[in-house]
Amino acid sequence: MDLNVNGKTLTVDVDPNTPLLWVLREQLGMTGTKFGCGVAACGACTVQVDGEAVRSCSYPVSVAVGKPITTIEGLSPDRSHALQKAWIAEQVPQCGYCQSGILMAAAALLKSNPKPTDEQIDAAITNICRCGTYHRIRRAIHRAAENA
Amino acid sequence: MLASGGLLLGFALPTPAARLLGGATPVPGQSEAAITAWVRITADNQVKLIVSQAEIGQGISTTLPAILADELGADWDSVELETAPYDPAYANPKYKWMFTGNSESIQAFYDHMRTMGAAARTMLIQAAAARWGVPAIECRVERSAILHASGKRLTFGEVAAEAAKLPIPEKPPLKPAGERQVDGNALPRVDVPAKVDGTAVFGIDFRVPDMVLAAVRTAPTIGGSVKRYDESAVHGMAGVRAVVPVPGGVAVVADTYWQARTALAALPIDFDAGPNASLDSEGIRGAMRNAIDKGPWTVPVNVGDAASVLARSTRRFSFDYENPFLAHATMEPMNCTAKVTSGRCEIWAPTQGQNLAFFALQAALKMPGEQIIINRTPYIGGGFGRRLLPDFVVQAALISKAVGRPVKLIWDREEDMRRDSYRPATIVRLSAALDAKGLPTAIYARVVSPRIITAVAPFMAETVNKSRVDPSAMEGMMETRYKLEHRRVDFHLFDTPVPTSVLRTTGYGPNIFAFESFIDELAHAAKQDPYRYRREMLAHDPRALAVLDRAAQLGDWLKPLPTSRGAKLGRSIAFADAFGTLLAMVAEVEVRHDKPGDAVRLRRVSVAVDCGRVLDPGISASSIEGGIVFGLAGCKSEVTFKNGRVEQENFTTYEMPYLAETPDIRVEFIDGGGVLGGVGEVSPVVVAPALTNAIFAATARRIRSMPLSRHGLHLA
Repeated sequence: MDLNVNGKTLTVDVDPNTPLLWVLREQLGMTGTKFGCGVAACGACTVQVDGEAVRSCSYPVSVAVGKPITTIEGLSPDRSHALQKAWIAEQVPQCGYCQSGILMAAAALLKSNPKPTDEQIDAAITNICRCGTYHRIRRAIHRAAENA
Repeated sequence: MLASGGLLLGFALPTPAARLLGGATPVPGQSEAAITAWVRITADNQVKLIVSQAEIGQGISTTLPAILADELGADWDSVELETAPYDPAYANPKYKWMFTGNSESIQAFYDHMRTMGAAARTMLIQAAAARWGVPAIECRVERSAILHASGKRLTFGEVAAEAAKLPIPEKPPLKPAGERQVDGNALPRVDVPAKVDGTAVFGIDFRVPDMVLAAVRTAPTIGGSVKRYDESAVHGMAGVRAVVPVPGGVAVVADTYWQARTALAALPIDFDAGPNASLDSEGIRGAMRNAIDKGPWTVPVNVGDAASVLARSTRRFSFDYENPFLAHATMEPMNCTAKVTSGRCEIWAPTQGQNLAFFALQAALKMPGEQIIINRTPYIGGGFGRRLLPDFVVQAALISKAVGRPVKLIWDREEDMRRDSYRPATIVRLSAALDAKGLPTAIYARVVSPRIITAVAPFMAETVNKSRVDPSAMEGMMETRYKLEHRRVDFHLFDTPVPTSVLRTTGYGPNIFAFESFIDELAHAAKQDPYRYRREMLAHDPRALAVLDRAAQLGDWLKPLPTSRGAKLGRSIAFADAFGTLLAMVAEVEVRHDKPGDAVRLRRVSVAVDCGRVLDPGISASSIEGGIVFGLAGCKSEVTFKNGRVEQENFTTYEMPYLAETPDIRVEFIDGGGVLGGVGEVSPVVVAPALTNAIFAATARRIRSMPLSRHGLHLA
């Protein structure tokens, strides 16, 4: 099947029930998207499909055929996305494992709501971060919203 | 709002070129000159520094190399950072053991980094001076070059080969503070860029050629085993290569992890529940309650005569506090890549404990030590102490040995939750006698706790078993800064089949929860302000007073609480001396009726921290902030057991705090002049008591156990 990933058409030969997460990580070798729980509870696997945040561990690859998929690798070619710049300026990541998912969820939020309030950020970002970087995530999203 | 000395957040930090790369080769490559074990320099002046400590999010892969680079005079923007191979040269100098944990990497390595940097600098200068025929004293270093007073210049690379042949000076001159640039400055972290663009390779992302993937299922019960399994059920399933028995379970090996996992789910396995089939939380709690009443006891602390003072006192208080089992639940589940052949074993793992892994592999594979290669991955998705243990490393090695190919083993979240070694549940009984002013003259503590330290320090098991005291489980109880004439602690080492080990805050967490809740209860019993009460008990201790006062100021202690419609607000304070650091936290909560129970919102947290000098205020602030959320997790969820198995198998039932529940956080550091204190584990220590003390202040309801759900409360 053909997948549109970060603007490129990539062909994979895989069981259609395979979650998009594992196709990205294994068939396509794109390990920026992470496995945290496998039941869509943590958000580490968040990518965008058709601009919407999707938890790819619970999203069969067959459903993604024909839709534009964006992963962390496609957020920008060079860490130039406003969120990535904000993340660096605010020194957000600690262990970093959850950050790909959070960045993709935040990017989807800003696409639909360029100047979110704290409450809107709270509602949109339900990813788990065990290192507790939430405080800086919130600041970085506001910073990116201002600078976008 | 963040108030932190030295850190300005109003500009975009430059992205450093210093990069955190993969493993250094066990011996320097042909083109590299090794100048001490920590510095490798190529002829074209590429300086590589070795990173000994595991980067688990605490920022150590920036701070220690930066200290080394600063002392050395290397150009920080262009250094490359390579992960240390397994070698005694990189072991913790205090314990001669290669590990990362206990919030003591900085304390252990600070002097060593400076000495090694200075030694390498001295050798490079010596080589340059010899080449120029000038006295070394006329030379200085700057950005990976040696400069002479006359204007001559040689890069490190140009003299590296000669410098490498020189003897390593034992007491090289260290740079005075005025010449050093790093200490006290917030540096951009070297690991951050790769963590925002998906390029950071964690253990779970690691690849070696010819690799296959393994998914494993061990018996769900603690101590269970496999009776039988039907391999034929997965033969012919896509990608499946092998079905491999492992101790206590079965692994399926396939071309991809998803194929392995799918086949594993289809594999019929008959487990034997084993000797702990009826283990449950009620039973454990019952046995611990029996122990808190009856002992037997060892008495590690007995200052004065607390027992008699209490017996004679007419103003006595005694309360029991309970701490739950907690799971590490690192975001990256346990995993390891292993390549085992008949005479050699090489592993790549997100590990905090190379030494432990080495000895465990040696025992499991019975290979000579030189044939066992341990590689730590430069990026690790959280540790919290879990990755000190070698179990997942050995399991991967056994699977690779069985299939004769490199294997990457990944635990799913359920396996990770089931096979954790948990933060132990404890019960702490605190009794005090109060004097006429309402201050305690005697505090008598009884601590019932399973082992903490022996899982990560097996060489201590004999001592712990003989003495019946686990020193980690006594943290926070051995000493106190509070003025107390009489102090006694009885300890009961609780035996349980539940595997227990170190988890961020180790013994301080459970003990300080009890102690700071108790001090608060005494203050209220004496009808005194909890801040002033603690002030009186710490009046002799200027450092303690300083953190207490600063936290009170930051937290607006003297100002009236705001009002909130339909909610009760409360403000609290908690203090701790943990991991060599003093800190105080003022917390503000809002309690609101919200069917079926009450919702507790932690609105605001103000923390003052005295860890001595703050080497990197940015990283330290991050650690304190993040630790508050980690502490909150211990108030939100617990691990319980039923029918011999853990009941919480994923984040759906072991719920972690969300961004929406994060309070406003203010952190300030005070340098009280003491030696460097640990930072990584300190802020979670005071969160639980600050929370319960604030709930009491808001509602007059005293909570003496966690999590909140035991009391019909939930975080909002």
